[in-house]
Amino acid sequence: MASYKDIAPFIDTGRNRGSRIFGYTGLGIGTLLLLSCLQFYLDINQLIKEKSLRKDGFDFISVTREITNENMGKDNRLTLANLQEIKSAPGVEDAAPLISNQFRAKVSAGNVIPFSTDIFLEAINNNFLDTLPPGFIWQEGQNNIPIILSSEFLEMYNIFAPTQGLPQISGESAASLNVQLECFTITGVEGFRAHIVGLSDRINSVLVPENFLIWANKKFGQSENAPFSRIYIKTRDANNPNLLQFLDKKDYHVNKERTRFGRIKQVLQGIIAGLGLFAILVIALAILLFAFYLQLLISRSRDNLRLIVTLGYEPGWVGKQVSKRWVPAYGIIVLIALSGAQILHSIFRTSVHSGMDRMSFPISIYTFALGLIIFCVCAVINSYLLRKELRRL
Amino acid sequence: MQIQLQQLQPVYLEQEKLVGSEIWNTQQFFESGSLVEIVAASGRGKSSFIHFLYGLRNDYQGKISLEGVAPDAFNYKQTALLRSKKLSIVFQDLKLFESATCLQNILVKNALTGFSSTDAIEAMAERLGVRNKLAAMAGNCSYGERQRIAIIRALQQPFEFLLLDEPFSHLDEMNREKALDLILEETKKQNAGIVLADLETNPSFPATKRLKL
Repeated sequence: MASYKDIAPFIDTGRNRGSRIFGYTGLGIGTLLLLSCLQFYLDINQLIKEKSLRKDGFDFISVTREITNENMGKDNRLTLANLQEIKSAPGVEDAAPLISNQFRAKVSAGNVIPFSTDIFLEAINNNFLDTLPPGFIWQEGQNNIPIILSSEFLEMYNIFAPTQGLPQISGESAASLNVQLECFTITGVEGFRAHIVGLSDRINSVLVPENFLIWANKKFGQSENAPFSRIYIKTRDANNPNLLQFLDKKDYHVNKERTRFGRIKQVLQGIIAGLGLFAILVIALAILLFAFYLQLLISRSRDNLRLIVTLGYEPGWVGKQVSKRWVPAYGIIVLIALSGAQILHSIFRTSVHSGMDRMSFPISIYTFALGLIIFCVCAVINSYLLRKELRRL
Repeated sequence: MQIQLQQLQPVYLEQEKLVGSEIWNTQQFFESGSLVEIVAASGRGKSSFIHFLYGLRNDYQGKISLEGVAPDAFNYKQTALLRSKKLSIVFQDLKLFESATCLQNILVKNALTGFSSTDAIEAMAERLGVRNKLAAMAGNCSYGERQRIAIIRALQQPFEFLLLDEPFSHLDEMNREKALDLILEETKKQNAGIVLADLETNPSFPATKRLKL
């Protein structure tokens, strides 16, 4: 069976080495750029995903109305229609309103801490709470109201308490405090005993059981189905650019800290997509250069190739044999590019100390797969062009 | 293999050159194993006829059929198969790779077919007096030497018909006899036929059919 070496003496591949090396270099740079773009994209995704506060694989972010100079002074609370709209937003698994008290409420800590203040109470569906102590339940007729307090509020209290001559209190001791809660109506005041059953890192509020607040609003308040100022979203990814885009477009305000990475991600995605496109362009140009090189090779060896075919060699076979000569070169280029992507990934991994353990040492399987695809595309295009040119002889 | 011609004529040949031809515009049938000698003066279309049979050109009217199929109707694969297994050829212009050695020129065919051993090739070269030219560049050899190399190359494959286009034009009497003997011997071994196109009748060629073009 004939092989390439039998026809090699008749094919002029030796000259124009410069353009071939130039093509190889272009292909190498383009491939490295494209593989690195993909790897960085995957790395950044991994980092951002791990940075957000999550529970059971979900992120919870609060949504309010954006208050601007134009709308300030108006009622910017959210309605049931807004809730439905947010529920249908991309990436939203569920959404729930944070309902607030529609009556005046006041707390005092009795004689131990001589402190009293008007307060707002809020309630949300239990599924949206990051902590759900067993005592956080209320039944009608029960005078004891369980409260979940924002841990940030406690922190704030502890900051200003010494300057006011008040004692600082720990999270554990806060639970043992008996607080008097007074709910004001037009006709009078009703008192309850309240105690802190837990601290929430997620919701900055004073939370009471939802059924209590619904009951209290009905009993002490003026309106039962009042609009709400906050809605909580349950989502798989708080950094989902589509979700953030939707919320921005609709003038909803979201917790910047929670979605900060999403905004970074949006920018990075743009940069990476731009670089990726540039890389694809470089690869396309390199392939084009190879196409020119092949045309040159064939036109220079045209008479010999024509004679080879005249003697009984099949053009397809000749094309295959000649194109096979490029396969090792393509393989080496892709391997070098993969190694380069691995080196860059390792440098990135060690430079991001906090995320090092979250990124695997080897580059992603997707990056490998992309390398393989580039290799196959080059080999197939090469073979196709050669066969096409040979059949024109 | 059988070759059948029906009203064949080149589209470009002047009408007066077709008159009196026993090939052009006639019906001909070359049965398998037949030795056909076609004689014509220059410019009557001998090379064209050989090229038509080999499928290199299709600027003709009428029909050629090789076992029922026109040579230009074969696809790339079938053409390659035809030229490596059934039809061999010695071109008038030899079509050698000038910048390759004579041996490389022969081996390029033999590599495709795996037909002969190196010893057999060397023996043929020895017989035709060109063994010492095997390592020489074809372009540096005389036309007669190149003609013999082209003949040896044509014999490095199985064939059912051997097409010869003025294959001995630059050979002296003695070398012509030697080359013809080798060709006839190899053809006989393969039970094949020959279509020999030449300027004059070759008395040494044992033609079963002689036709004027």
